[in-house]
Amino acid sequence: MASIEFRKVTKSFGDSTVIKDLDLTIADGEFTVLVGPSGCGKTTLLRMIAGLDPQTSGAVLIDGKDVTQIAPGQRGVAMVFQNYAIYPTMSVRENIEFGLKNNKVSKEERTELVESISATVGLSEYLDRKPSTLSGGQRQRVALARAMVKKPSVFLMDEPLSNLDAKLRIQMRIELIELHKKLGTTFVYVTHDQVEAMSMADTIVLMNKGVIQQEASPDLIYREPNNRFTAQFVGVPPMNVAPLGTDGAHFGFRPESAVLTRTPSDAWFRYKGVITTREMLGSETIYQVKNEQFTFMIKCYEDLFTVDEHVYVGVPVEKIMLFGADENRIPREDPRAADYLERLRRQGDE
Amino acid sequence: MNNTTRWDTLRPYVMILPAMLAILCFVIYPVFYLLKLSFYRYNLLNKAKSKFIGLDNYKQLFSKDEFYVALNNTLIYTVTVVLLTIVIALLLALLINRKKTRFNAFLQAGIFTPHIISIVSIALVWMLLMEPNFGILNYVLKTFGLPTSKWLQSSSTSMLSVILVSVWHNVGYYALILLAALQSVPPTIYEAAALDNASRFKTFYKITLPMISPQLFFVLIIMTIGSFKVFDTVRIMTGGGPNNSTSTLVYHIYEYRSNNLGYASATGIILMVIIAILTFVYFRVLANKVHYQ
Amino acid sequence: MNSKWRYGVTGISVALKSVVLLIFLFPFVWMITTSLKTFPETMIFPPKLLPALPQWSNFVTAMQSGPFLTYTKNSIIVTLSIIVIQMLVMIPAAYAFAKYKFRGQHFFFALVLLAFMIPGQVTFIPIYLMLADWGLVHTLWPQILPFAANAFGIFLLRQYFMQVPSEIIESARLDNANEFTIMRKIMVPMSIPALATIGLFSFVSHWNDYFWPLVMTDSTGVRPLTIGIAMLRETEGISNWHIIMAGNVVLVVPILLVYLFCSKQIVKAFVYSGIK
Repeated sequence: MASIEFRKVTKSFGDSTVIKDLDLTIADGEFTVLVGPSGCGKTTLLRMIAGLDPQTSGAVLIDGKDVTQIAPGQRGVAMVFQNYAIYPTMSVRENIEFGLKNNKVSKEERTELVESISATVGLSEYLDRKPSTLSGGQRQRVALARAMVKKPSVFLMDEPLSNLDAKLRIQMRIELIELHKKLGTTFVYVTHDQVEAMSMADTIVLMNKGVIQQEASPDLIYREPNNRFTAQFVGVPPMNVAPLGTDGAHFGFRPESAVLTRTPSDAWFRYKGVITTREMLGSETIYQVKNEQFTFMIKCYEDLFTVDEHVYVGVPVEKIMLFGADENRIPREDPRAADYLERLRRQGDE
Repeated sequence: MNNTTRWDTLRPYVMILPAMLAILCFVIYPVFYLLKLSFYRYNLLNKAKSKFIGLDNYKQLFSKDEFYVALNNTLIYTVTVVLLTIVIALLLALLINRKKTRFNAFLQAGIFTPHIISIVSIALVWMLLMEPNFGILNYVLKTFGLPTSKWLQSSSTSMLSVILVSVWHNVGYYALILLAALQSVPPTIYEAAALDNASRFKTFYKITLPMISPQLFFVLIIMTIGSFKVFDTVRIMTGGGPNNSTSTLVYHIYEYRSNNLGYASATGIILMVIIAILTFVYFRVLANKVHYQ
Repeated sequence: MNSKWRYGVTGISVALKSVVLLIFLFPFVWMITTSLKTFPETMIFPPKLLPALPQWSNFVTAMQSGPFLTYTKNSIIVTLSIIVIQMLVMIPAAYAFAKYKFRGQHFFFALVLLAFMIPGQVTFIPIYLMLADWGLVHTLWPQILPFAANAFGIFLLRQYFMQVPSEIIESARLDNANEFTIMRKIMVPMSIPALATIGLFSFVSHWNDYFWPLVMTDSTGVRPLTIGIAMLRETEGISNWHIIMAGNVVLVVPILLVYLFCSKQIVKAFVYSGIK
């Protein structure tokens, strides 16, 4: 078990700097998910922890120790890759024990470890098979077993579920959460899928263009986004955001925060629009409501409206978020907030 | 710098070191050595007596009929072998391409067999077949009522005989390369052409040939360069004769390698320059006309 | 009508193919049958395909006309040594070129490609002088050392190594494998087809090689089989075709045997080298 710390870390590939002066601490024993759009630097961070692409400057510490000079194989980390990176010419057993062999673990101990780990992940019957004869899910388990068997202090995972079909992915998600609970080790998990991040993480580190946007629990990330990027990255559909018409400021609200009515509403923010699309998803329905000024997605738990119907959209004041021209969230205490909210309310009167 | 990182930087160089040493020793250095030798009158028995003579070897070379004969023979050989091989190889490839039957697979293995057999054996067998008095080739000619030939033993037919053997030796290899190229043309293109009512000849000329042109181009280059280096068949079958009718550049170098090493080196430099120019010209001129996907 | 016409085409194509096959295989048949004939039988006109009685003693005569045991041994040692040395030189080089980034990489790789283009038919003169200086001309080394770096092999294997996903190598590094282990346990097992191709290619070309041993050797003790067979005409007389062909059969049979068992692989190997 170990904590991980980045201190003033910079990473450049040739002339382009991907990450600049980044500081981040990943707590010991937590399930931390690095999430963000592709190219945001999350995989780079992960590879720096592993030592596969060492940082250009700054320091990476594992358990308080600077590991800059330590080879990947000696950092006590294990990694599961997106394409599993299983050794195709070795049997499942050889795959799992490869790391142990390199670490000069005795044969009896190896056999014992391999048997117990493979039982845990349900691979016992497949130990002598070649990877090419296994299904995607089974290969995934080989990759997991191979990582687990080394008893690493840090588990690194780089989009490990993205090659699985949707159903298996959801099942593996639950298995990974349970695995984390059982092992109690530090997990660092990289994904571009915010749903995956929300469902698994203790802490989410949301990144964009090499900069950490927010680092918080899934709950906080969803309810209290720091900035427009976070607000619009998380949630399905994402937060509705539109310009306020002054100072380059924006306002936003979650799709489920709005109420649709057939009669005019007296909510703080309100507009009349026409329903242009309707997606019935079972427990909820998502409408797109349009007028000349706004196009917003509205989530309802009852399916009461039809396409082309004219409706009134209303959002209560406590659900409205404000963002400044610098994209950062404007808290209610901010002197600008009252003014902006007032503008928004008056807008509905026009 | 730290020890581990220094080793990390050095490692790739250490890994390529043996290969680079070998290339340096047996490719790069010999080229310069050869260039140096070509300016010397070299004395094999007593190195100290070797003498720098500037361009004399080259002057001698360009004033020697024997050299021009060898150059001419090499050119004739190359042009004929390349043309014959490419045409026959293409015809063979088209013949085999039609279906994937067992017989075709056997045929492929069959026409390829000569290519993996030593040129020594090939040359000896064909000398037997081309024997003027009791050889089977003359027997076949006679059976069909055709005039017989003296093959290797007459200066008018010796070059053609050597060419024939070379073509026979290599055409299967090139046919299979072209066959692989033909088979990699997506069938949908032919289906589209059929829908457009293209005739068979037109389909071949407008679709097949352009589609396999990268491989044709490749075959052309390696065959030309390979042909310029012809030696083995000549050495075994004719010894350059009769009457120098089959002497080639490499054979010329070989003949002078011990008596006049400097002269042989100068010839070698000329051959190398020709090959370099050929490679360059081919890549510059033809590359533009070749269809690449 | 249509189907009749089609039968006709098939018939013509089969006939054509049979003629082609005859042209390519008959010389080998003729070689074998001649090797079993008596001297007078080789001189008959019109020629006969089969001998009255197979003369197995021709092989004994051919083999006794020179130190053929030595020739054979030399051929085997030279060919196998070349293959082994080439592999040892080629694998790390190809791995470095495929999976490392280092300064001068392109320059060094250009040297490999250059090695492709410089013909041995020209450089044999300086190489011979060099090896003579090193005192190696009366050993087998002149036939082995110049081929230590197989440029074509490095090129081909590099292509193959580049297709190995980097994650597999990284995974091995995280498994605490050193670079040597990675080559031995991962890269090599994953590239068996390419290595087999290159090995076969080397085997065929060096077993068959005539030019290089011809210009590098001047004593019987280091000569390979090809030279020995070619010299049969001098030792046995130009018209003793039955003996020459017997020697020829000895030279060809190992290759033909290998070809018989893996013709598909060999064809693929050679053709692949031509397409790239």
